[in-house]
Amino acid sequence: MYKLAVDDLHKKYGDHEVLKGVSLKAKAGDVISIIGSSGSGKSTFLRCINFLEQPCAGRITVNAEEIRTAKDKKGALRVADQKQLQSMRTKLAMVFQHFNLWAHMTVLENIIESPMHVLGISRDEAVARARKYLAKVGLPQSVEDKYPSHMSGGQQQRVAIARALAMEPEVMLFDEPTSALDPELVGEVLKVMQSLAEEGRTMVVVTHEMGFAREVSNHVIFLHQGKIEEEGHPDQLFKQAKSERLKQFLNGSLK
Amino acid sequence: MNEIIHDYWKAYLWSDGLHMTGMAMTLWLLVLSIAIGFVLSIPLSVARVSNNPVLRGPVWFFTYVFRGTPLYIQLLLFYTGIYSLSVVRDHEFLDMFFREGFNCTVLAFALNTCAYTTEIFAGAIRSVPYGEVEAARAFGMSKFTLYRRVILPSALRRALPFYSNEVILMLHATTVAFTATVPDILKIARDVNSATYSSFEAFGIAAVLYAAIALTLVWLFRKGEARWLAFLQPQRA
Repeated sequence: MYKLAVDDLHKKYGDHEVLKGVSLKAKAGDVISIIGSSGSGKSTFLRCINFLEQPCAGRITVNAEEIRTAKDKKGALRVADQKQLQSMRTKLAMVFQHFNLWAHMTVLENIIESPMHVLGISRDEAVARARKYLAKVGLPQSVEDKYPSHMSGGQQQRVAIARALAMEPEVMLFDEPTSALDPELVGEVLKVMQSLAEEGRTMVVVTHEMGFAREVSNHVIFLHQGKIEEEGHPDQLFKQAKSERLKQFLNGSLK
Repeated sequence: MNEIIHDYWKAYLWSDGLHMTGMAMTLWLLVLSIAIGFVLSIPLSVARVSNNPVLRGPVWFFTYVFRGTPLYIQLLLFYTGIYSLSVVRDHEFLDMFFREGFNCTVLAFALNTCAYTTEIFAGAIRSVPYGEVEAARAFGMSKFTLYRRVILPSALRRALPFYSNEVILMLHATTVAFTATVPDILKIARDVNSATYSSFEAFGIAAVLYAAIALTLVWLFRKGEARWLAFLQPQRA
């Protein structure tokens, strides 16, 4: 059974088709990296999975439960049942390129917010979870009362990962989690992500970090102009790329 | 000067022996109108930024009318204008309500400050970073939870410096209350002036009282900002 299955996803902005039928299947413990040059549609694809963007067509299934949709007037997919979407989103926690922590809340408040007010667990339980996951991302308890703006980018992104973990999601979605970080801070975030992968969490990662895609993930998808140009195990993809485009892309990025 | 203070200090501060007057009345007017205006402006500001023109339109019209006309004229309309309509006089509750100058004043003040506050809050709601809204949606928040937990707490904090300005302007605007025979600080000062002909002392004392209230308000808001806006300020050592 798949934790997450995306089937034939299409997305258009006006007449411009950004995604031309992309599919993805993730079993428990899979770490799937999505790579490709900018404009290839990889971020859009990730954001369509939890309906931050409205796909035009396609089916999305989380834990064998398909999200019910209907067509709206413009032909885009509309979620039929907001409640179902909300409960599905709690199973797909997301980590953003620009962290998107809630600026007016402290670190602890950021992490306990959704478990308390979306999942409805008690404050004590939420705080216990928060402390557990703060430790997991390697942050000391002393940062609990800090505001995000008083922390470095790497620390903020680790808080954002702890916030996602505190939902205890089925699948974690990472949208270029290291692209907004200074080069020397990239490592601390990647290390946390690697440890998550090692403990068997299911992750879908849009990334420019070829090292991460090659070493940590067990499946790599190369997107080009809205289509899957090539996919497979990283060993095969990085050493014996078949398509010309992927060879060019890898040459460009590994320099 | 000493004589005026000796004879009128009570009237300036809280009572002429029969009614609440002076500073107590000014503060009561201010607190009532600010409180009513604040409570009303929160749902109105959410409607003001709505994508739905049926919600947005009427609120836009309301704030346009109340920000587009002088408060003095609004008060005259509520106090003398509305009461001249026979519909109002014939209706038991409306007759009772609009006969009292105090009620008309609070109504006019509350609606006026509500219009300004609505625009301040609407602007603050628009300035909440979109990424934070997106994160809230991605974590499964309903629209109601999103507003209650993320957008409004963030927006109200960001609005604090602008809102404190509005409260102080409202304090000074309460001086038109004497039009509706409300015995606020200025009304007492005018009475003292006509009784003693010491204009400088009579109005000077009023000015000092207003300045003292304004200074206290500034101090309170500064405390509030230190507490609720810490997330926008540099970290304290």
